[in-house]
Amino acid sequence: MPAWSLKLSAACITLFVLVGSFDYAGGHLKNPAAPLQPPVADGPAAASSAPGPSPVPTIGPLLTTRPGQRPPSATPGPRLTLAPGVQTASLPPITLTHTS
Amino acid sequence: MDPQLFIWLVARATGVSAYIALCLSMLSGIALRTSVLDFLATNRALRSLHDFMTWIWIPLGFAHVTALLLDRTAQIGPLDLVVPFQVGYAPVAIGLGTLSLDIVVVVAVTSWLRRRIGDRSWRWLHRTSYVAFVLLFLHGLLAGTDFSSPLISSLSWSAALGIGLLAASRIAFGRLPE
Repeated sequence: MPAWSLKLSAACITLFVLVGSFDYAGGHLKNPAAPLQPPVADGPAAASSAPGPSPVPTIGPLLTTRPGQRPPSATPGPRLTLAPGVQTASLPPITLTHTS
Repeated sequence: MDPQLFIWLVARATGVSAYIALCLSMLSGIALRTSVLDFLATNRALRSLHDFMTWIWIPLGFAHVTALLLDRTAQIGPLDLVVPFQVGYAPVAIGLGTLSLDIVVVVAVTSWLRRRIGDRSWRWLHRTSYVAFVLLFLHGLLAGTDFSSPLISSLSWSAALGIGLLAASRIAFGRLPE
């Protein structure tokens, strides 16, 4: 067998293995039986993706004080508190309410 | 396809194919001294194949380590390609590959410098490729993601056993009788 046919055969075998391995790996992306399981790094992306408690919106005292009037510090005003599961909508805020 | 996923697939595929290319290189190298492939080709043709395979396994090995460098999950640094047993996880399994890479680089470079270093030194350095092959096989066995696949496992084991048998016959008998 001439040298060129040996080289061609060896190159074809290697190419066949390369393509076959790539195809096999593409069909088996995750192998649970793989001997190496590198630890997943705790990057900033992983930290930011973790769900945290949503901020609780509060509304301050509704009573206003006039000049010279003592502020009603002893009795705190009513506060609106939303449950943690309630999220604010992305709609524009309501600035006008109609009452009859 | 996600680039990281593509890199991971390239690392796996080039690892297996580099191993097979090195097996063919080893086979043609041993055949030069044992006459086991005399029925197939002359020594001149086998020598030509042995030299040619260097240009097959070097790019594949280079692609394998480059893909692992770029793979974020593998967490391999440039120093890990030269200094073995430094990786934070599975240092032995990965370090064997590093050690094997170091040896085959020395073998390849000294082959190109054969006239300068002399035949005797070259021959002893070239014989370390047997050690490199054993380390490479253990690296694939301990770290290869696809080694548990029956097809790839049988391919790897049969190639390793064949070369091991030839190497043993080379050591025991020298050049086999024709």
